[in-house]
This record gives sequence, C-alpha cells and structure tokens, in this order.
Amino acid sequence: MIAMEKQIHTDVLVVGGGIAGIQSALDMADQGFKVIIVERQSSIGGQMIALSKVFPTLDCASCITTPKMSAAAHHPNIQLMVNTEVNQIETVGAGQRITVTRKATYVDPEKCIGCRLCEYACEIEYHDPFELGLGAIRAIAIPFTNAIPQKAVLNPDYCTTCGLCARACPTDAIDYAQEPQTFTVHAGTVIVASGFALNSLNVKPQYNAAQSKNVISPLTMERLLAPHAPYGRVLRPSDGKIPSSVAFVQCAGSRDETIGVPYCSRVCCMYAIKQAMLLSGALPMADITIYYMDIRAFGKGYEQFYQNARAMGINFVRGKVARIESAPNDDMLLHVELTEEAADPCRQQRHDLVVLAQGMLPQWNVSEHSSLQRGSDGFVASPDVTNPSATNLPGIFSAGTASGPKDIVDTITESGASAMAARRYLHQQKGSKNPDIPTDTAAVHLVQRGEGEIHDDQAVQAGL
Amino acid sequence: MNTINNSQHDHQEPRIGVYICRCGGNISDVVDVDRVAEVSRHIPGVVVAKVHTFCCSDPGQNTISQDIQAEKLDRVVVASCSPFLHELTFRGAVQRGGLNPYLYEHANIREQGSWAHKHDPAGATAKSIRMIAAAVGKLQYSTPLDQIRLPNHRKALVIGGGIAGMKVAADLAGRGIPVLLVESSGRLGGRLNQWNRVFPTDTPAGQLVTKLLAQLDANPLVEILLNCKVTAVKGFVGSFQVTIEGPLGPSGAMTSTQTTIGAIVMATGFRPYVPDDGEFLYRKDPGVITMPEFIDLMRGQQTGAGELVYKGRTIRSIAFLHCVGSRQIDGVHTPRADGKINTYCSRVCCTTTLQQALAAKERFPSLQVYDLHQDIRTYGRGHEDYYVRAGKAGVVFFRYHGDEIPRVELANGKHPGEPSLHITFKDYLTWGEELTLDVDMLVLAVGLMAGDIPDLINMFKLPVGEDRFIQEIHPKLRPVEISVNGVLLAGTVQGPMNIEETLNAAGAAAVKASAMFLKDVVELNPYVAQVDADLCQGSGSCVTQCEYDGAIAMVETQVNGKSVRQARVNPGLCVGCGACVAVCPTRAINLNGWRLDQYDAMVDGLTADIPAVAAATS
Repeated sequence: MIAMEKQIHTDVLVVGGGIAGIQSALDMADQGFKVIIVERQSSIGGQMIALSKVFPTLDCASCITTPKMSAAAHHPNIQLMVNTEVNQIETVGAGQRITVTRKATYVDPEKCIGCRLCEYACEIEYHDPFELGLGAIRAIAIPFTNAIPQKAVLNPDYCTTCGLCARACPTDAIDYAQEPQTFTVHAGTVIVASGFALNSLNVKPQYNAAQSKNVISPLTMERLLAPHAPYGRVLRPSDGKIPSSVAFVQCAGSRDETIGVPYCSRVCCMYAIKQAMLLSGALPMADITIYYMDIRAFGKGYEQFYQNARAMGINFVRGKVARIESAPNDDMLLHVELTEEAADPCRQQRHDLVVLAQGMLPQWNVSEHSSLQRGSDGFVASPDVTNPSATNLPGIFSAGTASGPKDIVDTITESGASAMAARRYLHQQKGSKNPDIPTDTAAVHLVQRGEGEIHDDQAVQAGL
Repeated sequence: MNTINNSQHDHQEPRIGVYICRCGGNISDVVDVDRVAEVSRHIPGVVVAKVHTFCCSDPGQNTISQDIQAEKLDRVVVASCSPFLHELTFRGAVQRGGLNPYLYEHANIREQGSWAHKHDPAGATAKSIRMIAAAVGKLQYSTPLDQIRLPNHRKALVIGGGIAGMKVAADLAGRGIPVLLVESSGRLGGRLNQWNRVFPTDTPAGQLVTKLLAQLDANPLVEILLNCKVTAVKGFVGSFQVTIEGPLGPSGAMTSTQTTIGAIVMATGFRPYVPDDGEFLYRKDPGVITMPEFIDLMRGQQTGAGELVYKGRTIRSIAFLHCVGSRQIDGVHTPRADGKINTYCSRVCCTTTLQQALAAKERFPSLQVYDLHQDIRTYGRGHEDYYVRAGKAGVVFFRYHGDEIPRVELANGKHPGEPSLHITFKDYLTWGEELTLDVDMLVLAVGLMAGDIPDLINMFKLPVGEDRFIQEIHPKLRPVEISVNGVLLAGTVQGPMNIEETLNAAGAAAVKASAMFLKDVVELNPYVAQVDADLCQGSGSCVTQCEYDGAIAMVETQVNGKSVRQARVNPGLCVGCGACVAVCPTRAINLNGWRLDQYDAMVDGLTADIPAVAAATS
C-alpha cells in the first residue's frame, strides 16, 4: 500500500536537530517564523548532548544543551520531526520543496506518554548506541534520560515481537505493523545543519584500533567522563581496569593527505586538553600524555585553558605517533617519532588506554539529496565571502559543522548568522505570489490530504 | 520578623511543590537527594517533594507542570543548578502549569551544594535542605509579578563601520529595520581597507567592502554617519537616547544630534599590537616591520620588477616571526602600560603569516622566506592549505618555545646589500639546537588588541574581560549578548576573529537585534525597586545612593491635596541592586520579588529548627 503523502507548509525547515539546528531554529522562531526541525535520530540534541563538559568553560554539556533543546521543544513556532530523514530538497520558484520520511518506530508517537512501562517490561537488551556501546538499552526504550521528545522507540533489529511491551503499554501505543511515512514540506527557506561524523577509528591501520578495545574514540571518552557516565567512573573497555596511563594521539584522522583528510578538524586539540583535565580530576594518580603536532588553542580563553593544563601536570609531547602495537595485559605500545628532545627523538611509550583524535567528516552528503555544492573537503560549500552561511542555492543556508569542522562557540554564532541570512531571504521574497513562499507571519498549515486538517498542537504531540 | 500581611494567603495555606534535581550525578553523587526530598516534605507549606534525574529535561519540566494541575500547587521550588542556567527554564514550566512564573524559587544546591562541598556529603545534604527551606519561606511571601513592558523604538544603532558593523547594518536593514551606522573615520570598511587579500579565498579585501557598501547604498533604511562619534547615551533597552557628534549639518560644521534607538550593536573592532620601540629592533632598524606594514608593502608590489625593494634596500631574505604580542608569558614578556600581558592567542596571525609568506614567495621566487613559530594554528576551513603550499613553495620553518624569545640584533655586515638583521633562537625541529639567521627583513606577526574605546566602555558600562576585550554573557549560550540589556557585540570588539568569523558574529548579533524588534514593546524582569507612597518621606537618600543615572528620582506629587516630594523609580533604568532599599530611613522601598519580608522569611528558613536536618547532619 502506498502511504498517503502529506503536505506541510512552513516558513523554515531546518535539517538536523543538533545544537546548530536548534540555535538556528530558535533564532528564526524568535523572529516570528514557523520552523520545522527534521532530525534523523529519536531525539534532538545532536552530538553535544552526549558530551561530558565543554571547553573552555567546563560547563556540563547536558546542563547547557537541555535548556536549548527544551526551549526549542516548547517554542510555539517550532515543531520537531524526529526519526525523520530528508530525502530530497528541490527549489520550486523561490521556495523549497522537501520530501522527508518518518521511519517506523513501532510506537505511535501520538499515543506514547513516555511512561517507560514498555521499557521496563522488555526483556531484550543490546549495546546502547547513546552510550556508544558502553551500556545496555532495551529493545524498546526512550533513547536516553534527557531525550526530547520523550517517546519510546522500538529497535526492530533486536525486538522478538514477544508482545510484553504491547501488554504493558497503558495507551495502546505499540504498533508492530507501523510503516514509514513520507511527507512533503513546502518551506520558504532551508537551513542545513546536518552536522559531522568522525572518520573510522581504523582509518590508520598502523594504530591497530581494530585489534584493541583500549584504543577508543574521543566520543567514548566523553561518555566515560560524563556526570551520568555509564560506569560512574573511568574504566577501560577491555577489562574494566582503572587506567593509570592515558595517551591522547592527536591528528589521528586529520591533517593527513594519505587518508583523504588534509584539513584540521579544529576541535581535537581543545577537547583532548579538556578530557585530559577531567581525567586528571577523575584519576589523580594517572599519567596523562597528549601527543601532538601543533596545539591549536585559538579561541577566546583557549590558550589560557591550555596553559592551565600544562600547569596541572599534563604531559604534552610534540611528535608524531608512527604506530601503535599491542602490549601485554591489553596495554598498548606507542612508537613516537620526531619528538623535540635530541636525546630521545624516537621513543616507545606504554599506555593502558589510548584516545585517537578522529577527523571530522560531514554527516550527510548534501549532493545526494539536493543540488547543493560541496567543497573539496565534502562539506557544504560557502561561495559568498560576505555571507559565510549562504550556499550555492538561494534560499538554502548552512549552519554549524555542515560547512566544516567547528567548535560549539563558533557553531552557535554561525547558526545565528545563518538564521539572519534566512530571515533576510524571506524578507526579500515577501509579497511574492508563489504559494510556496509564506510571508513573515504565515501560520503553519498541516493539511493531510483527504483526511482533513491536523492541528498544530497535535502535530507536536505526534512528534512531527 | 516583619509583619507585612500577604492577603493572598489569608484564607488558605500555600501548596508548594519542591523538585530536587540529581543533575545526572552532579548533585546526587554528593547530596543525598532522596533524603532531601524526604525532609522537604516536612517543611510547612510543602505538599509535594520529588527527585528527578534532570529537572530541566522535558519529562522533568512536565512533572512540574502536571503536578501544578494535579496537586493544585500554587508555588514551586526547584533545587538544582545555578539560576543563571535554568531559572528561565523553570519559570516556563511553572507558567505552562498555569501559575504566575514569579511564584517560583530556585535553590542552587549544585554550585552552592554538591560542588562546593564535594568532600562533605552530609554537610552538603543538610545545606541543601536549608536552602530549600529558605526558598520555601521566601515563596510564602511571594506575590504574582508581571514583566515590565516598555516601548520599543524600531531603530538600531551600529557603532563602528568596519566589516562587522557594515554586515550588521546590511542584515538589519535587509530585513526591514532602520539602521543608523556611525563611523568615527571618514570611510567605511575599517581595517579591511588596509588589507590586500582575505583568506581562505584570497579574495581582494576591497571586493568585500564594495559588496557590503552596495547593499548599504541600495537600502533607504540605512543612514550612515561618517566622522561621527557617539558622545552620550541615556535611557534603556527599547529607548536609548543617543547623542552623536560630528559634521552633521550641510555646512559640515561640528554639531550634535540626538536620536532614540531600540537596540545598539557595538562593532568597534580591534587595533593591531604595536611593538615597543626596540622590541625585536622595531623602529630601530628599518628592516623590522609589522604584518600590517608588510601587507601595505605587498599591496604596492602587484606588478613591476622581480625584486622586492623596501626603503631603497633590496630584500632577498625575510623572516616572519609569529606570536608578537600574543601568547605572552608572565615573567618573560614585558607588561603593557596597564600592567597586563597578552596571554591570549590572536587567532588570525598564523594563517595570515602563511598566506603572506606564500604570496611573497610566489611573487618573488628567489626570495628566501623563513617562518619562526611556536605552533602553526591553521585551524579553519582552507587554512591548512596555506601551510602545505608554503612548505612546498620552499618556506623554511623553525619552531621556538614561547619562553625562549628569539633574539634580534643588527648584523655585523657593514657592506651595502648584506643582511642587516641577525636572529638567534633555539629551534625545536632540530631538537633545541641554537640557530642563527641573517635576513634583510623581519616581519612581526603582531596580534590583535582590544580597541581603544574607554569612552564607550564608560558610557555603556560595558563589561571588560581580563584580555581587555568586551566580555559576552556566556561564550556558548549567549555569545553576542552582554550584561547591558539591549547592547550587542559584533566582531573583534569581543576578541580576535578572522573575517569569516567576524561576519558570522555580526550575523548572530543582527539576528538577536532582529528578534528584539519583533514586538513593539520590550519585556524586562520585574525585579525593580518600588516606592510605597504611604511611607516615603522624601528624604532623598535613595537618589544619592543610586549608581544608575535616572533610575530613581525625586518628583513633586500630590498627597491629600498637598504637594510633596517623593521618590519615583524608572523601571527601565533600575537594575534592582537594592542600594536604595538599604538606605531608606522609613523602609519605604522594596524590591519586587525580593522584598524585605521575603528576606526575613529566608533567614527564618535557613535557621529553622527542622528536626530532620539534625538527623541528616549526624
């Protein structure tokens, strides 16, 4: 059966519900525009909500992300469409037509009240993707504690359709036969805030990450250090031992033409320093070493943060880690070359936990879903020097790491700029006869063809 | 104890809900939150006390909103983090539950509890209970408050006509808001007018200025005042009265004008670090120049002979020295006149240096180019490319340590044409070997310093950071706002930024200003002083004590047919500091939301004999 395609009208569609998308959406909504955030995951919050603390203020990431998430969720001008992917963005006249597909979550979001009774009833557990596999989650669950919206999601890869959740659900929300739904959104403008992904831990085979559980991603370290960490403390993955000697290998997926990432990923120096500081608080007896080429502490307060870390006794070794070998007891032996010390230019150092600074890649290939152009680095191209958030297409703007690696400060600033650019674009289009372009104050109309009208608040409830 | 009667509760006991946050573990790892909840239930007036993992999360907030309905709560306390982070969040939750948002109190049991007393869980738990008791006590005397609504004049003032100010003006006018752009010099474009090409596109700087100028020129909503200065400001967000001085009349004579403005954007930029006389032989040898001077030199070298000539000397070799005036170290570098050193990184100099080194090498292939750096910070998109290309083009790199400043001396060579400068340094690409370079020219990659704007800082009471730049409220949550309501920051007034970052910051400032103009009123917190006309005897002590011009003033008014002088508060200017409250001899002034009876109740709460506190402490 072909699902009925629903038509939705809005002023702004934001691709991605990470911090960039949230900030852009808030800045548009605060100017009186109707905004839809399309997020492929089950919650907004993006990568930031999973971080431990943020540099250089050392604010707990949850504490400063949740208010933004919550503000977006409660904003009268913002609607969230989670579990939803963008298929295609097409320019129609001066507006944009976007087709999106809401994935089946096997839970009716309109009925789910977030009580978690299904989760408690479920007997299947698998590696929790939010905890990057460090903990377990039920096959049907609310994705994480401070997820927004609080709607259960069933993972069909693990569900055995035993029926326990359906029997536990007080609102009859479980729907094992749920199908994906496709919608067409007509928006005046689109902000692409599709974020970043990290390249593989194994991108450099000489680092042997595939062979050792104790060579980890920086995002795994973020979870280990988070206030509500899976283990409540820092333990290394292979055997649960408290690490005593931790190495950070910088530029392990960046600044290297041989792996196709010649550029700098911009945030790794600072998060390594931050993680090193947090580790030295969590594990006062541990040796912590950062192997680096250049420390790029360029932002406001960053250099002082770096100098504080040096003063705290964190070891900074300039040099290049040539390879990593397995050592006894699940440890690793790092071969470090070109250090600054004449007596010891090439050395071997043993560590029991290693964090590889993976490179930042675009999360989403915009060219496969639109006529947007990408730079040689794969990120959205910014051809207008006076308007960095503009793309090659009028009416489509980029925010945050969709257009290149960026830290949170720069992401938030750029998201504001992106919303301003989108605002100006809508102002220019005002008065246009094209029905695809709503005016400033146009309300969102959700018209479900053949089934009458859905009210805005229902749409929010439905997680649309 | 003050006996002011709260008539609202004459007939019914308050019903207060207390919500205690685990903050993931930030609080509950130290504070026994379940114990806190248990004890809180016994505080008079409390009918609900619950613990939540993240009260600020959606389920946490929904619990509060729903309880207000289900439990008929009329007041709410959330015990969590600093109100700086979440006071607004919870006010929203309380409002969604149907209560006045000011019938809400915040107890900061994280910063003042679990974090402050990490090693004393029992003490932190007892203190948390007392802080909640104080909040509950205060709430008993809370009354519903409304935000102050003031007129909002739909016009923005942008101070500074560099790239940041131009962008803000273009953005705001481009969305329909009248903008007054005030520039102290005779030309828009600021520092870009002295630049050659901007990285990472190598676009001529003039093109950016021209493009933005065209946008400004095309928009009738933009008014540009050149050679003008803002000399005075009065008023508050929504209605600032700004005085501007300059050649305003048709005759061009100096005169001043006043205008009313809703929001102000500071885009006054930076100034380059100027080395001291003799610092690296600057101003002692003509071969030592700063980066802006070098760029000026290169601008004149676009065509012509195959040799770089400067002040009659043929330049065959150049050394670029990074971090001049940046990343300075206490005890190593000489402080500036204000006693401070520039500990910060200036962010733009590395990429600028490599861009210029590469340009010099490409323009004059026989030129020997050296680069002395601590770290190469080509962090931005397209920046690393300059580093790679400079290396391939033959730029020779050396690496020094910040605490071992390279030494520059006059070279011994007496013959014309020989290098005049002798540089000695330890190079850590060759394991700390002491190296020397003889060069014809040394280019100092000078950093960015905060603009010289003491008048504006005083006038607007701008918050200045340790690095002398203007300090934003929060680098992540509110990066372009400052503690002065209605005044925003754009660009390098806030700290070093490159062109792209400046444009983004300008856009972010513009969007905040744009949102402020959505309504024709501005809404402010109601926490301002209020004078009780029955009690005010007109002593005037409050006016003497007040530090905010015009926030409180004596006015003639009629009481019982007689003309008397009484104090009156201007709610737009009052910041709610409470100085007037403290000095009033007749206790005629109270701060809304922080009245004296509320303080009394808080003290009672803190010192109350709560049996369970003793138990928790023991």
